Amino acid sequence: MSIIDKLTAIQDTIPHYWPIGSFIHHNPLKGFEDMHFKDALAKAQSIFGGRVYMEPAYYLGLYDEGKIQLPCFEKNLLKMLKEYSFEAHEEEAKQFLMEVSPQWESFRSYKKLKVAQLDMDLVRHLEVESLYNNKKAYVEKLLADMTLYEIHDAMFDTNEKEIIEKEIIEYISRFLDEAQATIHMDNRDLGMFNTFKIYEGMSYKGDAQSYVESALETLKIKDVEAYFLTHILKLHGWAGFIKYRSQDENYFSQKEHPSSLIDYLAIRLYFELKYTEKTKLNDFEKLDKYIEDNHAYACLKLLQNKGKLSGKYIDDMEEHKGYTKILEAYVGEEIRLDALQIQEVQNALPTLNATLTFLEIFIQVLRREEGFIWLKSLEDSYIYTYVDAFIQAPKPQEKPLSAATFCLDVRSETIRRKIEESGAYITFGAGGFLGIPIAFVEFDKAHELLLAPAIVKPQNIVFEVPLEDYHEYSTKNTMNKTSKKVLSDLKNNPYTPYIMVEAIGWIFSINLFGKTFFPKKTNAFFENLKAKKPKTTYTLDKLSKSTIEIYVRKLHIKIIKEKLNSVHIVLSEEEVEHLWKHLVFDARLTIELPEKILYALKVEYHISQEDYLIQKEKLSRVGFTLDEKVMYLENFLKMIGQVKDFPKFFTIVGHGSVSDNNPFESALDCGACGGSISLPNTRTLCMIGNNKEVRERLVQNGIDIAEEVRFIPALHITTTDEIKFYDTEVLDREEIVRFEQVKEDFSRASMEAREERMAFLPNTNSQEEMLIKSMDWSEPRPEWGLAGNMGVFAGPRSSAKNIAFNNRLFLHSYDWKIDNDNADILTRIFDGPLVVGEWINLEHYFATVDNRVYGAGSKVYHNVVSKVGVYNGNYSDLKIGLPSQSVLLEGKAYHEPVRLLTFMEAPLDKVGKAVENSIAKPFILNEWIRPIIIDKEAKKVYSYEYGEFIVIKELP
Amino acid sequence: MLINITLLFLFAGIPYYLLFEKTKMISHEKIFFLSVMLVLTGMYVAYSYPHEFGTPFVIVSLLSAVFSFYKASRTTNFYKFAYYLLFVNAPILILFSLEQSALYFIALILTLMGVYSIAKHYEKNYGSANYHSVTGVIVITPFVGGFLSIYLITLALYPPFPSALFFLHTIFVADISVLWYVVVLFIFFANFILAMRVMGKTVFGKPNGKIHYVDLTRGEKTVHFLIFILLFILTIWEFKEIFK
Repeated sequence: MSIIDKLTAIQDTIPHYWPIGSFIHHNPLKGFEDMHFKDALAKAQSIFGGRVYMEPAYYLGLYDEGKIQLPCFEKNLLKMLKEYSFEAHEEEAKQFLMEVSPQWESFRSYKKLKVAQLDMDLVRHLEVESLYNNKKAYVEKLLADMTLYEIHDAMFDTNEKEIIEKEIIEYISRFLDEAQATIHMDNRDLGMFNTFKIYEGMSYKGDAQSYVESALETLKIKDVEAYFLTHILKLHGWAGFIKYRSQDENYFSQKEHPSSLIDYLAIRLYFELKYTEKTKLNDFEKLDKYIEDNHAYACLKLLQNKGKLSGKYIDDMEEHKGYTKILEAYVGEEIRLDALQIQEVQNALPTLNATLTFLEIFIQVLRREEGFIWLKSLEDSYIYTYVDAFIQAPKPQEKPLSAATFCLDVRSETIRRKIEESGAYITFGAGGFLGIPIAFVEFDKAHELLLAPAIVKPQNIVFEVPLEDYHEYSTKNTMNKTSKKVLSDLKNNPYTPYIMVEAIGWIFSINLFGKTFFPKKTNAFFENLKAKKPKTTYTLDKLSKSTIEIYVRKLHIKIIKEKLNSVHIVLSEEEVEHLWKHLVFDARLTIELPEKILYALKVEYHISQEDYLIQKEKLSRVGFTLDEKVMYLENFLKMIGQVKDFPKFFTIVGHGSVSDNNPFESALDCGACGGSISLPNTRTLCMIGNNKEVRERLVQNGIDIAEEVRFIPALHITTTDEIKFYDTEVLDREEIVRFEQVKEDFSRASMEAREERMAFLPNTNSQEEMLIKSMDWSEPRPEWGLAGNMGVFAGPRSSAKNIAFNNRLFLHSYDWKIDNDNADILTRIFDGPLVVGEWINLEHYFATVDNRVYGAGSKVYHNVVSKVGVYNGNYSDLKIGLPSQSVLLEGKAYHEPVRLLTFMEAPLDKVGKAVENSIAKPFILNEWIRPIIIDKEAKKVYSYEYGEFIVIKELP
Repeated sequence: MLINITLLFLFAGIPYYLLFEKTKMISHEKIFFLSVMLVLTGMYVAYSYPHEFGTPFVIVSLLSAVFSFYKASRTTNFYKFAYYLLFVNAPILILFSLEQSALYFIALILTLMGVYSIAKHYEKNYGSANYHSVTGVIVITPFVGGFLSIYLITLALYPPFPSALFFLHTIFVADISVLWYVVVLFIFFANFILAMRVMGKTVFGKPNGKIHYVDLTRGEKTVHFLIFILLFILTIWEFKEIFK
């Protein structure tokens, strides 16, 4: 097995990381999804440490609140007890989980140990079982997850870890920088390790792989895979980002500045060798020998380093009492504490008539299983509650004036309910990107945004182009950009701040004081300064071959002219044309130009045949063919179950969030649209929907959209619950009057939704305060975002109408009767929305259960680094996951961590087909979500658990 | 001369704790109390018998302080830390007149009594006054963390806590010499470094999952609150002295 194979074997363990600019919610344990949820969590805990379930006290709190129902808890407990043949002790097990376990740690008391009468048989039993009896295994356990320099620090009270990690972070954050630094690192195009060699002045000639091989040899590592994992988990955020880059061949920065995990390991090992080479223990053989000679001392130092040694032993070590005696005393006391804990449990469970050694096993099992039992009981309780709500008789619906289809998000639940309450409206929910993946190039921007889930690669490019004169916009925008750049350059230049602080520092005070004391007025002031974007439309039609050729030629000619201008060379139009033909088609050059310029145009500016073909291929992807337009609209309408009786106005509502000074802003936008707002998807779809040709073709497919029906795009601002409409030019005068009523009702619904949501947001007593949160730069929690998300409902709206879910459910419209026998529509829902829903749900789950390990910690300490993420203070690991403010409130969980409860109203066989066909199959079958099938045809409700569909309710 | 030698001893100018540590005659807790009592006795003696310390006495106490600084930087036991701190600050009593230094030392002793009370709390709940494994107390036990932070900030000579004000005031009114510079700089940095070291190791950091943390009881809170009130009174007093 080569070094690379060994690295590949462990790289799935590294949590996924996407750059923060397009924050994608993700399951940090994605690499474990091929295992059952419960087993995967146990494995993750052994690797990352930390918690994977909430503390028992948390679940008990939910039990007291009535959220966990006793029958669910008892059923799950009994099932587990049967697996271990402990069912005879059900009452004691229940008592243990409810009364004893929450105070488990307090039983381990030094104070009580002093006066306790211990059962000597139990102590002897624990002594025999103790790992300490096997010296080698005992040391190995202490050394697990430690690098050589960490062991050295532990043994000799040095501080090499701090220095080494700091050096590594300093280098990789500079190398991976994406234009945050003012002064860039040179030679990054050589790759991460080659640049590093220059950076460190290394004379080493080989590549990263050979360097790693030689370093492993020098360090005399026995288990290479384990050591790789140990190293990588030291900074798993950075490692996750490097893995992400190296696996995405289209990631621009990766193409420019290549990096890989093997490069990263080479760098880590370089620093390890550098700082340990002159120390006493500079390889693992010497370490083994040292530990063999100084077993007690080494164990004590390792225990001390891990925080396991209580103060009195450290006192004894300070006074150099015999180390062997200290270690034996420590181990003896630990065993006695273990015995005390067991005895205390026995006292707390007087009805349990069993030996103490049996009790030890009984406790071990219950402690291991309790997290999962509580979690599943909480989920089951919610399942029963919601199933009862979903199976109520559907409410009759009058002919709606308008339908509003919301881009799927839990935050649309309240507003949808309020809209429906405000008049003759029907709402739908459609998977994130509305089933139309696009690469979107915004007006006045040069880069494309991929508006689709991270797993989908959009094939159609959409350009936003102005519909009206934009001279004023351009002038104002250029002026703003220039002023911003000048100020930024003056601020970031190493020398200018000395003068500029005094000269123009006061300018920044407008921002500082204005945003702090008058956020609303300051926001309005800066909004006025911004250039007003002209009205725009999208390029939805395909370009002809000749048009594509003209565009590519124009683009190249423009670049050539700019380059020539920059070096003060003036050529006529014909000469430029000749030059272009020479560069692209290798035509004979009739004019004389310096070789340097020709080289620059070809290599630096990419004016070549290769680029010509690339650009042509790119432009051929602009817009949609008629077939594609028909296909996307048809899929969309079928997905939400709207194929007939279209209302007059058919609004499609995307969503986005507004907040200030928030590096995690894109986490609040549309996760299924690559962490961007989903307005372009809705505008595109509405333009397609209003297209006459498309409608004519749809009639052939059985979908008749009356001529009078208008598709109107809109945007739901999730921070303020406002809804803004776009492209209303398609309405005539009479329609505008009718649409005013819709706007009025939607506006009232927004207000009522804010009123309802206000109760859940801290420090928010009025609608005004809620609106200010979106512009307050000191607000760590502008909205709750997706916190609280708990499940998905895929079925007709009538089953979920008027039920208040408090923004906790993704409500996806689906009508199984429209779906074909192969369940293609449901499969698409599984492949897109369900995958994204699972990522969102598990990201919140893990960030809540242990924010230190799986989350980003407090926003208060965050600084943006390299424009790819945040870290704490001035150097730390790259923070993965969500900040504590997104899931916790005053240190307690606001988000209730449960797996995604996926309710589907459809026949069982249809769901089975969809599971079989879907890419989501592994995580569905491994129970990373909780599928619940409401089969109204069979009059049964099924839940998928323990590897099978079981009936949990019979319908009347 | 005899009075000077006696006072050098009483003012913790020589590290007599070494004897007790070596022979284990009395516990660390008692060494702290003994040292405090001797310093207070010394202050009374110094008040009763006029004296003046020569340069050699200052140098001896400074050497003792440097040694105690080293010892303090090697321990993670609060009792030891408390009495080492007393010895680290001893040159203040030797270099400055009692009138100038008495209040500084009273504030120091008061603060160390606070540290001592925290040590007692650790010993009662974690089996020892050693704080090495008891990390991140501010997160789990906010009262312990809060009071300990106040004591450590006071020891680190941060204004507006009394030690800092006494120190500043003393500097303003003192006669300056090279030895003065050396002593003052040493005391300033030694106090700061030692206090911040403890702050980083036990007040902050990641809480230790292997420990069952216990916060202060009502009685303990009262004791710490009283110490805090006394420090506050001393602060006001010293403010008045500065602006007199």
